[in-house]
Amino acid sequence: QLAEELAEELWDAGLPGDLPELEPECRSLLAAFAEGSAALTGCLGRRARPVRLCQGCHGHYRRLLAQYGSIARAVGNSSESHNCAKSILTSDRLQIVVTLSEFFNETWEAANCANCLKNNSEGLSNSTEEFLDLFNKSLTCFEHNLQGQAIDLSPNNYTEVCKNCNETYTKLNDLYNHLQRMNRQGGESAHSAHLCIDVEDAMNITRKLWSRTFNCSLPCSDTVPVIAVSSFILFLPIVFYLSSFLHSKQKKRILILPKRIQSNASLVNIQEKYS
Amino acid sequence: QLTPSSFLRIGQLSNVDLNEDIHELETEIPRQRPNEIPHNEKLLSLKYESLDYDNSENQLFLEEERRINHAAFRTVEIKRWVICAMIGILTGLVACFIDIVVENLAGLKYRVVKDNIDKFTAKGGLSFSLLLWATLNASVVMVGSVIVAFIEPVAAGSGIPQIKCYLNGVKIPHVVRLKTLVIKVCGVILSVVGGLAVGKEGPMIHSGSVIAAGISQGRSTSLKRDFKIFEYFRRDTEKRDFVSAGAAAGVSAAFGAPVGGVLFSLEEGASFWNQFLTWRIFFASMISTFTLNSVLSVYHGNAWDLSSPGLINFGRFDSEKMGYTIQEIPIFIFMGVVGGILGALFNALNYWLTMFRIRYIHRPCLQVVEAMLVAAVTATVGFVMIYCSRDCQPIQGSSVAYPLQLFCADGEYNSMATAFFNTPEKSVVSLFHDPPGSYNPMTLGMFTLMYFFLACWTYGLTVSAGVFIPSLLIGAAWGRLFGISLSYLTKGSIWADPGKYALMGAAAQLGGIVRMTLSLTVIMMEATGNVTYGFPIMLVLMTAKIVGDYFVEGLYDMHIQLQSVPFLHWEAPVTSHSLTAREVMSTPVTCLRRIERVGTVVDILSDTSSNHNGFPVVESNPDTTQVAGLRGLILRSQLIVLLKHKVFVERANLNLVQRRLKLKDFRDAYPRFPPIQSIHVSQDERDCMIDLSEFMNPSPYTVPQEASLPRVFKLFRALGLRHLVVVDNRNEVVGMVTRKDLARYRLGKEGLEELSLAQT
Repeated sequence: QLAEELAEELWDAGLPGDLPELEPECRSLLAAFAEGSAALTGCLGRRARPVRLCQGCHGHYRRLLAQYGSIARAVGNSSESHNCAKSILTSDRLQIVVTLSEFFNETWEAANCANCLKNNSEGLSNSTEEFLDLFNKSLTCFEHNLQGQAIDLSPNNYTEVCKNCNETYTKLNDLYNHLQRMNRQGGESAHSAHLCIDVEDAMNITRKLWSRTFNCSLPCSDTVPVIAVSSFILFLPIVFYLSSFLHSKQKKRILILPKRIQSNASLVNIQEKYS
Repeated sequence: QLTPSSFLRIGQLSNVDLNEDIHELETEIPRQRPNEIPHNEKLLSLKYESLDYDNSENQLFLEEERRINHAAFRTVEIKRWVICAMIGILTGLVACFIDIVVENLAGLKYRVVKDNIDKFTAKGGLSFSLLLWATLNASVVMVGSVIVAFIEPVAAGSGIPQIKCYLNGVKIPHVVRLKTLVIKVCGVILSVVGGLAVGKEGPMIHSGSVIAAGISQGRSTSLKRDFKIFEYFRRDTEKRDFVSAGAAAGVSAAFGAPVGGVLFSLEEGASFWNQFLTWRIFFASMISTFTLNSVLSVYHGNAWDLSSPGLINFGRFDSEKMGYTIQEIPIFIFMGVVGGILGALFNALNYWLTMFRIRYIHRPCLQVVEAMLVAAVTATVGFVMIYCSRDCQPIQGSSVAYPLQLFCADGEYNSMATAFFNTPEKSVVSLFHDPPGSYNPMTLGMFTLMYFFLACWTYGLTVSAGVFIPSLLIGAAWGRLFGISLSYLTKGSIWADPGKYALMGAAAQLGGIVRMTLSLTVIMMEATGNVTYGFPIMLVLMTAKIVGDYFVEGLYDMHIQLQSVPFLHWEAPVTSHSLTAREVMSTPVTCLRRIERVGTVVDILSDTSSNHNGFPVVESNPDTTQVAGLRGLILRSQLIVLLKHKVFVERANLNLVQRRLKLKDFRDAYPRFPPIQSIHVSQDERDCMIDLSEFMNPSPYTVPQEASLPRVFKLFRALGLRHLVVVDNRNEVVGMVTRKDLARYRLGKEGLEELSLAQT
């Protein structure tokens, strides 16, 4: 009913009767894009925690990119002026399709997923696979060792885990550091300084488990030598200043008497000011 | 009632803090014997002489000036612009060199120490890391300090006080030599790499000035090369103008602030100023920042991206998030007050320290040892602070250059280490821009406290280093702390962004220490690229200056005073109207006759007890012993050139002189005239006569005896004179006023004070 009213209004305003409707090809492209973005959104949401965006959603993302590309590229069957790009992307103020696609692109960039995908972005890169392998291995190791301990029910005693999984953890850590270094050498700009979010998050989780929950990385705190050395160094200046105060000859200045006329008037003046 | 003579002595000694000395001296009356007193601030050193800003307008000069026609003057003007461009380019290049070398060397040092710490954190034995860090620092600083202390002591410190004195008209020995530049540049690199609490920005001003002085002369006496260009500019007046351009170019390169550079030169440096000079100076600063920009852009790999204009880049403040409202104005003023008080405290502490250093630590080896100790202690303090800190932040999402894990969990870094384990410039930037929550208040508080004392202790060491960056860093730390507590008090309002308060704190602290307002505002605005904060920064700086001036003077003025430099301020002391030229002048004056015996001239010049530089020339009237009418003024340097070329009347009569002496002969000797001892005058020649009338300045400035001190001062200061002859009403010379006669009157706490002259 509302549409009819609108049509009537337009009719009254003197516009041609047939509203510029979307052509069927464009309509199908739009529908495909809508479905694709729904699928991607769902995927992103489901894999938000723990972060598995790049591993799980790269297929969806690639498909969506293609769909957007075909909209932007596709020219409708009829005349040039009625191509889909124009009618879908730029005919209104909101431009929802553009906004959506920009949102996905930005998210993808921020997650830096390109970093752990292959160059043609089909599947994960070798180094990422390797890393995730190690990651899974260490998680299994943690679980395995914890199960054995569950009987003890002593939450503070994780020595078993620390001892048994140390090797895997160290390997994982080293690999991560290696990846990071490689990445930093490769790219100069600030954005590519990060690894992709999946790898970063996986490492974060492991590190947190390792050093916070299990308390495995206990650094040797050698407070006594540090205090000794630092107080020795801090003591040196005192010795230095005291000795130079006591032994160094104080620098004396030799006063020179200037050649001046001695006049009473001015001196009285100065004297008044002094007092 | 005191007799005049005894009062005179008290007048000279009243500033000696030991009262017993006065009594002793009064009884002994050592009128002739020189008194020895410990160094204090109320002295004028004989070491410093004046520059000749007033052209000696003798016949030679007039002839030359008349020969230059209009077109030739235009060439001279074009040459001035060319020189300014060259000053800009070279200053920019020197800044690039310093920046690149510091970045690489400091990066290397921090990587080595970080690897070492990481290694020993796991295994134990962190005391070795501490030793390594302290030793590295101390040895680098040792090299930096040795070259300064043993090769060129004038390169110590930031160089701003020295340049200020130079532009005021005081000749500081060696201050604009090439050797000084080399030592300054190397010294600054070494002291920043050595991890001292210093910055490399202040010395850029000195470096720019040396470059300017060198280029404008078209030769280097250190290298013994004369390029035979720019000979017209070989005199103090022209050199002074170029030096002020160089100082501006230095600021411009250091902060990427061309306008700030010009204003700095105007506010802090130049004592003489005109519009044409402003344009040239602006040109030099523009070229300098452009050069730095282009070279650094090529170095950083994105050639011709000209968006990082200075040595220090404060980064961009997001103007959308960081507005300010009227409610914050009182807060900014309060920060200014805090900055002023802290700045005054800094200066007062540094005053005592400097006094101690001048009195007791005057031997070069002691100075080197002191610098090394400061370096080692700086490293130790940093290490202990990092060691004790339990403030861990996640590495993810932050751009820390050298994240130290130490006792933090894996994947986290010690947040104290971002402040201490980095070059000071980087720390300033991270304090400005790190997101809220990157530092906890305890860390910031401890950091401010320790860094305040370290910076105060470091300034005045025998290393070349500036105070700008440490001040900014202290200010940024307490400003950020202030911002955090503010947002805590207001339950996390959005406007209490810690970065904004860090900037204001930095401005307040720097303003409180160096007491600049105009130029500092513009420098901060240009360096942050943010005009929105212009008004709050102005407000903060002015408050800081007013509050600080209430307690003590600015750091640079303080150091000028401690060096016993005869510095002339803009005005005579306000209560000095009762003094007249008669009391101010030195008398009797050593005069020369117009046609003088060579022997007399040599004897006068060789007399070590009266190291005069200008001699009034009087009518040659050999009969009268009385002082006769004033005819002109001749300088020591001119006399020496005359003696060297043996321009004697007898030789001229015998046609022994090949050619007439030209102005060029005087210029070639500038600025290092040989001492009188190096000129050999035979016994026969001593009886020759020398005619001064062609070489003396026939129209010296004179004042009558009755002129008041402010009047004399004004004439002297505005024209940049070196000698002002006091005459009586018969035009007979009665006295001479020089810089030291005027500079000794100063407004102290209890009214007019008189400084005493001393040999240093």
